[in-house]
Amino acid sequence: MSVGFVDEEQDPDVRFVRGAGRYVDDIKLEGMQHLYVVRSPYARARVLSVKGGITGDELKATMESVGEDAGGRSTVSFPVLSASYVSYVGQPVAAVLGGDKYEAADKAEEVDVQYEPLKPVMDPERSLESEPIHPGTESNLVAAAELGKDFELKAPVEVDETLRMERIAPNPMETKGMVASYDGSLLTVYASTQSPFSWREGLAGSLGLKEESVRVVQMDTGGGFGSKGGIYPEYVVAAYAAMKTKRPVKWSESRYENLLATNMGRGVRGRMKVYADRKGKLKGLKADLLVDVGAYPLGGGAWTAKWIASQLVGPYAVPKAYATAKAVLTNKVNMGPYRGAGRPEAAFFMERMMDRIADETGVDAAEVRLRNATTRRTISPLGMEAPPSRRFFMEALRAFKYSSRKKKEKVGLSFFMLIPAAYGGESAKLAVKGGRVKVWMGGSSHGQRHDVFAKKLVSEELGVPQDVIDFQHTDTAAISGGVGSWGSRTAILGGGALVEASRSLKAAAKKELGKGYSPARILEGDYEAEAFFKPKDMLNTLGANLATARLTKEGNAVVEEVLSFYDAGKVLNQFMLESQVTGGVAQGVGEVMYERAVYSEDGQLLTASIADAGVIHATEMPKSVVMTAAHRSTLPHGAKGVGESPTIGVPPAATRALEVLLGRRFTTLPIEPEKLWALDVSDGGRTR
Amino acid sequence: MTQAHHVVVEVNGVKREADVEPRLLLVHFLRENLGLTGSHIGCDTTSCGACTVLLDGKAVKSCTVLAVQADGRKVTTIEGLGADGKLDRVQEGFVAKHGLQCGFCTPGMVISAYALLQENPDPTEEEIKTAISGNICRCTGYESIIESVKHAAKAGRRRKAPSRPSRRRS
Ligand code: FES
Ligand code: FES
Repeated sequence: MSVGFVDEEQDPDVRFVRGAGRYVDDIKLEGMQHLYVVRSPYARARVLSVKGGITGDELKATMESVGEDAGGRSTVSFPVLSASYVSYVGQPVAAVLGGDKYEAADKAEEVDVQYEPLKPVMDPERSLESEPIHPGTESNLVAAAELGKDFELKAPVEVDETLRMERIAPNPMETKGMVASYDGSLLTVYASTQSPFSWREGLAGSLGLKEESVRVVQMDTGGGFGSKGGIYPEYVVAAYAAMKTKRPVKWSESRYENLLATNMGRGVRGRMKVYADRKGKLKGLKADLLVDVGAYPLGGGAWTAKWIASQLVGPYAVPKAYATAKAVLTNKVNMGPYRGAGRPEAAFFMERMMDRIADETGVDAAEVRLRNATTRRTISPLGMEAPPSRRFFMEALRAFKYSSRKKKEKVGLSFFMLIPAAYGGESAKLAVKGGRVKVWMGGSSHGQRHDVFAKKLVSEELGVPQDVIDFQHTDTAAISGGVGSWGSRTAILGGGALVEASRSLKAAAKKELGKGYSPARILEGDYEAEAFFKPKDMLNTLGANLATARLTKEGNAVVEEVLSFYDAGKVLNQFMLESQVTGGVAQGVGEVMYERAVYSEDGQLLTASIADAGVIHATEMPKSVVMTAAHRSTLPHGAKGVGESPTIGVPPAATRALEVLLGRRFTTLPIEPEKLWALDVSDGGRTR
Repeated sequence: MTQAHHVVVEVNGVKREADVEPRLLLVHFLRENLGLTGSHIGCDTTSCGACTVLLDGKAVKSCTVLAVQADGRKVTTIEGLGADGKLDRVQEGFVAKHGLQCGFCTPGMVISAYALLQENPDPTEEEIKTAISGNICRCTGYESIIESVKHAAKAGRRRKAPSRPSRRRS
């Protein structure tokens, strides 16, 4: 069932360095047309008329699922093409087809849309007192949650702070895109995706098709970071256009479009109050969170506020905790997952408070954390389960050589817990034929090189050499179900499924071959096995980061080095793990220093190029040192999740290092560039 | 539609001709007209370097050059590196040190690194960073890419040993 675009037998590294990767935009099909989407130039407006192209009057579809734990429908429907009003700059209102990209863009000029602009709601703090952005609704409140029990407390140390993580664009280097083709009964979609199964569900739902009539095939995917898990309106339009014209349709967006109309991450404000004794031991924690979910509360918009609140306590113990959390609408593109998705927000808020307690009490920042770490499994008053943390953090401090580094350098520290998205499990399938083993997983690699650990696990389990194993891109026609690749889940869940599938394949071969069984004989036969792995145990794991900062000659504060110490369980491949972590370190530092989405008051995106969005360059990258603690998990392969750890742990550690260096308190990420400048550079920042 | 221009470009050593619109970008000419999809498009503001190719031996961002500007000139794309089915040493470096994850930035990175090593066979780490500072990688954090370039530089120095013929391309 291979689509023939990708030579799966060739090592991906070799394909990529030759320029022989096969991404969506590389596809050329007979008779293929290009779709160009006409977008709203206003953040909020009534649509008076749309003339030309495919419009919302023709395609009356709404978004039925947007993937990654979409969490059902909301009371507000998200139109595929808006015919009545628009809610963010970049929202699709019409689409046209052309023979190539240039022609399609030319045709878009002929589409005439009349708008009546309205005043947009941009500030989440004012969202609730503003007019509802969706006609017919009562307010801009999407969700409100209350966790734990409210309490009264007097403590020797009481600190409160308002903290923020600004919105940022995921910015995978390959923008979003797809090719759809329709043969009269089957809609085949070639996708740049983290989850072909979410796409199948979403496209079938929006187009009123049976899931069996939709096949989604993953192409080489140039990064996702959360933004390619679910589906977007453009995908539905492109699929519809292919069905309507009975010709293949390609949609591939520009970077500008990607920035305007791709879900953004973060955008959360946390008001935190901690109560502690003079030694820094926590007595209580109160929090109030506000999440800016953008225009349509789908795919996480409804549950993110509660999700962040639930993990605020992190790896610590606190006798009392109480959190309230709200999610509100604004006239911006939807909020969506970005590497970490809620976990970095919780860790940033809590770790900033740990540093505040250290400052208030004069107790060392590491000591404050250790005093609040745990020696047994706990469930926090906010409902989250955590493994014992104290011993691991002592290990981390030794690995960092914390005490000696602290004496010489400006350091920041973070301790955190990673909660992998284990929910729903994951699938894997093996097929032996003609002496080769084909391997699929339900969730799809979009840069993580799952093939490397997949081959290793299957080879170990079956006893066959790695070079007879071909790792396949996910294809909904090849494997019967699956979830997707996000939330630090694929190595643990997909890996678990691979082990289970291998074991059942081996058992079947043993049964058939009896005494004649040997790994080599497996390869002579025809076997298939599929497994859907659902872990029973808690998989939450721990991590720590240490960052150092220094001043450049010009007086700019920069992050110099980031050390990561993560409990990744049994490491499946050290090299790939280090590569993943260092990539995440770049994103974590980017988030502290450069990355941000800025909107004007009238809702225009001001950071509308990849340079303005602040993605880190080679010259800005600090040194990254990656270390692991290999405490086996209870899973069949012993591994733990790690993919999101750096975007969780690096921001608080790096922020603290800069704070110590400059002697200024930082509460908002990214830190404004003008605050990263030291007035006095005579001593290289050493005395601050 | 505006009037078509006839262009003749030597791409990876082969003469290619076409009638193109004046507005056609070189990267689209390579990808769409010639099917050389190794040069990628990652932005629309000349910021990412995914489209980097050699134009008369110099690294350029092919999204910022018009196809008509390449008329009569020589272009080398990622597909043109290496010879006789073998990888070039820069490509080998990226495989050996796994200087990539999703692979999308890779062709541009390899070309930029290739151009650097042509000019400066023994670059320092800072020089490597500067040379690839016009190329964005969102996945790797650059460390493995820098290691890949160092690996390639070392291999180049080894190859320059007197008894061995140089495999450098012109
Ligand atoms: S596509 Fe040419 S620089 Fe980004
Ligand atoms: S490897 Fe993905 S952008 Fe560089």
